[in-house]
Amino acid sequence: MKKVLAIILAGMVTATAFAGCGGSGGGSTASGSESAASGSESKADGGATIDANWPDASMFGDETDIDLKVWAPDAAVELVKKQVEEFKKHYSEVKFKNIEVRAQGESDAATNMIKDPEKGADVFGFPSDQLDKLLAAQVLSPVAKGFVSTIEANNAEKPVVAAKEGDSLYAYPETNDNGYYLVYDNTVVTADDAKTFEGVLEACKKAGKQFVMDAGNGFYSCTFAFTGGALIDGFEADGATQKFVDYNEDTVVKTLMAFAKLMKTYKGTFTSQDVANISAGFKNGKVAAGVDGTWDSNGNKDALGDKFGAAKLPTIKVGNEDKQLISLFGYKYIGVNARTKFQRSAQILAYYLTGQDCQTQRAETLGWGPSNTKAMEAVSSDPIIQAVSAQSQNAVPQVKIAGTFWTSMGTLGSEMYKDGWNPDDEAATKSLWEKVVAQIRDE
Amino acid sequence: MIKSYKLRRHISNALIYLILGVMCIIWIAPFVYLLLHSLRADGAAVSNGELLPEWYTFQNYIDLFSGTGSSTLNFPKWFLNTFIVACFSCVISTISVLAVSYSFSRLRFGMRKKLMNIAMILGMFPGFMTMIAMYYLLKIMGLDGNLIALVLCYSCGAGLGFQISKGFFDTIPRALDEAATIDGATKNQIFWKIILPMSKPIVVYTVLTAFIGPWTDFILAKIIMGDIQENYTVAIGLQLMIDLDHKTTWFQEFLAGSVVVAVPITLLFLKMQKYYVGGVTAGGVKG
Amino acid sequence: MTYVEYKQLSPLQRFAHRFKNAMKNLPRAIGRFFKLIGRAIVRFFVGIGKGFKNYGTTFVKGDWATKLSYVIFGFGDIHKGKIYKGVLYLLVEILYFAFMIVFGFDKLYWLPTLGIHERQVVYDDMGFPHETPGQNSMLLLLYGTLTVVVTIVVFAVYISNIKDAYRHQVMRENGEKPTTLKQDARDYLDGKYHITLLSFPILMIGVFNILPLIFMILIAFTNYDGGKHNVLFDWVGLDNFGNLFNVVNSAAKAKTFFGVAGWTLVWAIAATFSNYILGMIVALMINKKGIKLKSVFRTLFVITIAVPQFVSLLLMSQMLTQEGAFNILLGLISGTNPKIDFLGGSALSARLTVIIINCWVGIPYTILSMSGILMNIPEDLYESARIDGASPFKTFTKITLPYMIFVTTPQLITQFVGNINNFNVIFLLTGGRPSNPEYFGAGDTDILVTWLYNLSMGDKKDYGLASAIGILVFIICATLSLIVYNNSKSMKDEEAFS
Repeated sequence: MKKVLAIILAGMVTATAFAGCGGSGGGSTASGSESAASGSESKADGGATIDANWPDASMFGDETDIDLKVWAPDAAVELVKKQVEEFKKHYSEVKFKNIEVRAQGESDAATNMIKDPEKGADVFGFPSDQLDKLLAAQVLSPVAKGFVSTIEANNAEKPVVAAKEGDSLYAYPETNDNGYYLVYDNTVVTADDAKTFEGVLEACKKAGKQFVMDAGNGFYSCTFAFTGGALIDGFEADGATQKFVDYNEDTVVKTLMAFAKLMKTYKGTFTSQDVANISAGFKNGKVAAGVDGTWDSNGNKDALGDKFGAAKLPTIKVGNEDKQLISLFGYKYIGVNARTKFQRSAQILAYYLTGQDCQTQRAETLGWGPSNTKAMEAVSSDPIIQAVSAQSQNAVPQVKIAGTFWTSMGTLGSEMYKDGWNPDDEAATKSLWEKVVAQIRDE
Repeated sequence: MIKSYKLRRHISNALIYLILGVMCIIWIAPFVYLLLHSLRADGAAVSNGELLPEWYTFQNYIDLFSGTGSSTLNFPKWFLNTFIVACFSCVISTISVLAVSYSFSRLRFGMRKKLMNIAMILGMFPGFMTMIAMYYLLKIMGLDGNLIALVLCYSCGAGLGFQISKGFFDTIPRALDEAATIDGATKNQIFWKIILPMSKPIVVYTVLTAFIGPWTDFILAKIIMGDIQENYTVAIGLQLMIDLDHKTTWFQEFLAGSVVVAVPITLLFLKMQKYYVGGVTAGGVKG
Repeated sequence: MTYVEYKQLSPLQRFAHRFKNAMKNLPRAIGRFFKLIGRAIVRFFVGIGKGFKNYGTTFVKGDWATKLSYVIFGFGDIHKGKIYKGVLYLLVEILYFAFMIVFGFDKLYWLPTLGIHERQVVYDDMGFPHETPGQNSMLLLLYGTLTVVVTIVVFAVYISNIKDAYRHQVMRENGEKPTTLKQDARDYLDGKYHITLLSFPILMIGVFNILPLIFMILIAFTNYDGGKHNVLFDWVGLDNFGNLFNVVNSAAKAKTFFGVAGWTLVWAIAATFSNYILGMIVALMINKKGIKLKSVFRTLFVITIAVPQFVSLLLMSQMLTQEGAFNILLGLISGTNPKIDFLGGSALSARLTVIIINCWVGIPYTILSMSGILMNIPEDLYESARIDGASPFKTFTKITLPYMIFVTTPQLITQFVGNINNFNVIFLLTGGRPSNPEYFGAGDTDILVTWLYNLSMGDKKDYGLASAIGILVFIICATLSLIVYNNSKSMKDEEAFS
């Protein structure tokens, strides 16, 4: 009895400290967040050990025989397993029954989670575009109040803001890199060529090689519209209809025409293909450049070796102006299942897995661009992470996107790429654009 | 006159050989393409932009079975799972189909016509929503993520596909039953001792169709298995190999896996072809 | 037309005559079908009424044990010495109440509202969230349906228990003894053999087909869509059906429905007849007298059936891309770089491609069944034709063709219905592409079933709408095949060979 009471007391002491950071207790101390931040600072060697400033074992409360399931994408499973072992070692006084790491493709994470939350993972990784689906199905636990301010202080702003609804943060930011950028063979395309779309295409054409971009896929083709200024801005008040910022339709149409013109001029060089063909094309020498995502980085690097080049997306000449291509850009999060039996353990594990050291490790072994600012500094010399980070400045966050968005944007790209499309036909471009917007907004 | 008739026949036969030959090439070419590309050595993902590979290797097959570089891809296990599920569901399905079609064909009872009509239309409901319902029903039974669940799913509706088999039973003369009844045989004995031994084509037909089902379904199985990758079947496994996470690295192995799945089924089919044709025509014409 | 006149017609004319008659009879057949359905419904309610009456009279006439059976299952049977059956009845009652207490009553209670509790999150003293999940309407609906179905089945057992009790009472009054377990077992292998054979399949179908089906039908009357998974939704009556036909207020949905339904019809007709005609021609060629290597040809075609469709069709869709094998091949032949987008180029090219590829998939099936039929044509027909000096062409048009068409008509209908529901070909080849800016969650090659898939598992989830469409497709298919089946020759002369 005494022992129990002692634990409770110890717990309450730490709790007040942490509640203080969250600002919910109306507390007076800010030391919690400071100590956590400085704690991570001291570790820059990449070993994901946990030092004394992490949440201590009493935070687990009365949870014992802890049995958790973690979902990570196939490529990350080995690493996450190691990190979990480290976690268990650190909290040696806490009784863990089992922490299982299972492979679960991130593209299906939300679908499988929502199908049956009880059988889903307790802690799981997912990309930002699935956030609203998960929120609607109420399967995400809000982040423990004690962690919120530390997360806000240590991570890039956009991923944190995107995961907030009202006062609550609903997921732990894991990466700030889920997007695409320009990859090229640096023996064909020079770093200078890579600055403009025209330059890239011209260089490819001269070498008789292809440039690959999946123009029929809404994920990539929305770039055409975004570059013209037609950015999206979450949902309308009904929570389902896509909202656009106020844009100048004329500029959008002009920009679309510029893209279509390039496709026409460089027909045979500009090819719309599945991005999976890019690494294959690098290998057999048919492709010299392409727009590809971070998930294929390792494959492309392997294919090109020393010839590998990466940069942010280029600019395109519209009229007299060089416009920077604006892409869709997402983040990866780690979420905690609202139905988990071990709420505290799951939250602490998620907090640990998204901490600076774990993020640095993933950046080094998997090439995932960290959301943690300090981890970012540690790996900023990597060319891919540089390119991605530069592109993230010119991007629309991939959150709150209507289901209609993808196919409609895909239609936009595939129409423009079609043989019969006339890039100089302003009226046709305008009517296509209006149709696409109407379809996205389900009007 | 006779001569020209003969000549004409020769010409027309030659023409037919030509057409059939060309068609066979068209029909088989994709599979040859599949086979050759499953042996492709350049490691290019989806397509190498050439009709034929430049180099050949067995590495794709070796990778497929060793599962290197992934914590999930375990093709031998998936193959074994599918085989087990196929065997069990094929036994249960065959029993159901034969029981139902024999009852409707040879036995006379009050609800017969009504049941037949209901059974015929039940299979026509295009329901993907029923899959999620099935998942939760299996979950109440504690079978989600379990191979037994798959066996149940694949064999539960088998009884509804009784038409062809019933058509076959209908062609067996009733006089046989009557003679046996006079000799004192029960309906049970008639079924086992008289009708079944005469029904080899339809039994083989039923067994074959039931056996193939588990190898091809990739929607329901995925819902039931969720993240239990060790219980996947080859169909979900192959789908997994070409999803976003694996497409760039596993496409070659996907092709190899497709060949590995297709070959045994094809061999089985070819061996049983005679009965299959016998079953489908005897039953199909009437049913 | 008299029988003699009919016999004088050529087989083709006979077929034409039959066909004309069938067409003429079609409206009557449809009428009869609906009349039959109407009568069945009336009979159903009359039956219920009669059941209630019997329920009362049996109670009045029954002795005390029979009367007790109204409350305790199987009591009459046990009292009359039919122990094993009585115990079984009793067991059913006990299990039922156990089920209802543990599971059922709660689910029945929530069925009318489909739940009202939202999720609640409270933070503990350390700021960790702890939550009580809200109610999940989908599960309440499913489990509610399960409870209702179980209750109906148990009610049927209850009625049979009363009947059985009364039957045994009458038997005792007449001085008869109840049958023993051994006698019953023998009866189940002979006179009641159909019960033995059918009970297992019916149980399986009941649990895994009928129950989910009822659940799905009920969903059509709710506003269950992608955003309401795992949380609460409500009954909305006939709104979903209204949306399908409401061209004014839900233009996109109605437009998609009519557009997709039209293409489904075109697709089903084109797919069925292209397979049928081409398959028949190939089968005729293979089976022509004097052609050798028959089995080799047949075998080569059969391989297409044996390879799983998700492999062969995914392969096909990959070969049809702009960088795929077909374009490479065309390039090699023509010396240009065609880059034709077969499946995404335009609605027309995608639709044509799908129909052509479907021939590749479907013709082998036709060849198989046709080959069998061709071998079954009575040889003496040809014999007499030859004696009469008929040319091969004439033999073909006068004997082979009419015979085949006549014999395979029912198959044609089955195939037609099968093609309306042909999910694999469309889904694996195009996935509905090319996308259509004017459709709601569907593309140009989407047929009703693949649209249904999109609505229930794809990007644009709307389960209620999906179920409503499912019900409509079901009604069309079921009516069509019931009419055809019940008027088909094979059904009418079921005992022709007996």
